[in-house]
Amino acid sequence: MTQEELEKALSEKLPSLEKASVQVRNYLTMRLKSPGDLLRTARVLKEEMGFDYLEIVSATDWLGPVKPEGFILNPNPNVFLPEGATPQTWPTTTPGVAYRPVFDMLWVLGNIPERIRLFLRLEIPRESPRVPSLTGLFAAADWQEREVYDLMGIVFEGHPNLAKILTPDFIVGHPLRKDYVHLKDKYDE
Amino acid sequence: MGILLERLPGITKGLPGGQLLLTTADYFIDLSRKSSLWPMTFGLACCAIEMMASYASRFDFDRFGVIPRPSPRQADLMIVAGTVVKKMAEPILQIYHQMPEPRFVISMGSCANCGGPYYDSYSVLKGVDRIVPVDVYVAGCPPRPEALQYAVVKLQEKIARMGLAKTSGASLQQERGSRDVAAEGPRIEPPLPPRTPATEK
Repeated sequence: MTQEELEKALSEKLPSLEKASVQVRNYLTMRLKSPGDLLRTARVLKEEMGFDYLEIVSATDWLGPVKPEGFILNPNPNVFLPEGATPQTWPTTTPGVAYRPVFDMLWVLGNIPERIRLFLRLEIPRESPRVPSLTGLFAAADWQEREVYDLMGIVFEGHPNLAKILTPDFIVGHPLRKDYVHLKDKYDE
Repeated sequence: MGILLERLPGITKGLPGGQLLLTTADYFIDLSRKSSLWPMTFGLACCAIEMMASYASRFDFDRFGVIPRPSPRQADLMIVAGTVVKKMAEPILQIYHQMPEPRFVISMGSCANCGGPYYDSYSVLKGVDRIVPVDVYVAGCPPRPEALQYAVVKLQEKIARMGLAKTSGASLQQERGSRDVAAEGPRIEPPLPPRTPATEK
């Protein structure tokens, strides 16, 4: 199956999907319109089109650079700089990037006999981010959704055990969020 | 052996020529300790690759009597090779207290020394010496196998200065041992009060 054939089949079976404006490398990338479409889309893809392998669940925080308060312990790592000098590691905005307060979700589904991949994207607002869980369809989604929850704070509705998986219990917050502020724990000074 | 180590300084104290007996015993005990340093294989990150290379035949750690052991109960040296994350701190403490006395720690590489490139990270411990006492630090990212072997040579020199009598070369933790309650437990100090300009000066 080539990408053109896949795109044609998708437009027949799942007309709610639209092709994303930015493709992930040269894979076919489709954008979901709302979180409610996800379960139906994944079920059709798995049961009718043979995409039975969930490769990646991930997310991107598109909030722009924020002040690294509490995160950079020493803003002047160069000891020869005077006190109060301009910090060397201050993030700046990159021109041409559309910063916006959203999480861009990403699911990668694979069809191994046909040797093709499909990238699904979905934008959800940063305030109270919730998406349905795919654990009912793919067992592989379990730990990956826990990881995304741990690091980005996205709640997967219907997940049987949505608990932290990577960070220790005393770390408060979700460290890969752009506005994460690190609270000093017992191992920090 | 434990009876000898604990009682000998007291026995020789009143004897004529007891000091000579004690230093002679020191010499042989230190010789046996430093000639068979058995490290526990504790690879945490990429420094472990260099540690494995120094065990292997090209660099040949065996000529110092250094043989890797899979269990902390058979080891007397812990080579912390790699980045210590905060989640790994508790297991490191547990393993350290499982090692028999006297026990030594080599901190290998920049990450284990001070956090290295992950100094500003939310999850990396800023140096393994915040939780266990370290005998020798090895700089490098990662250090070459020769550097690790030089660290073992320095540790052997340090062991050769140890004595059975108190305050004769060993660190406080090694001297008092794990049987001392005050020396037990994690060495996590309570956080210092925030520095004010008046006290800083």
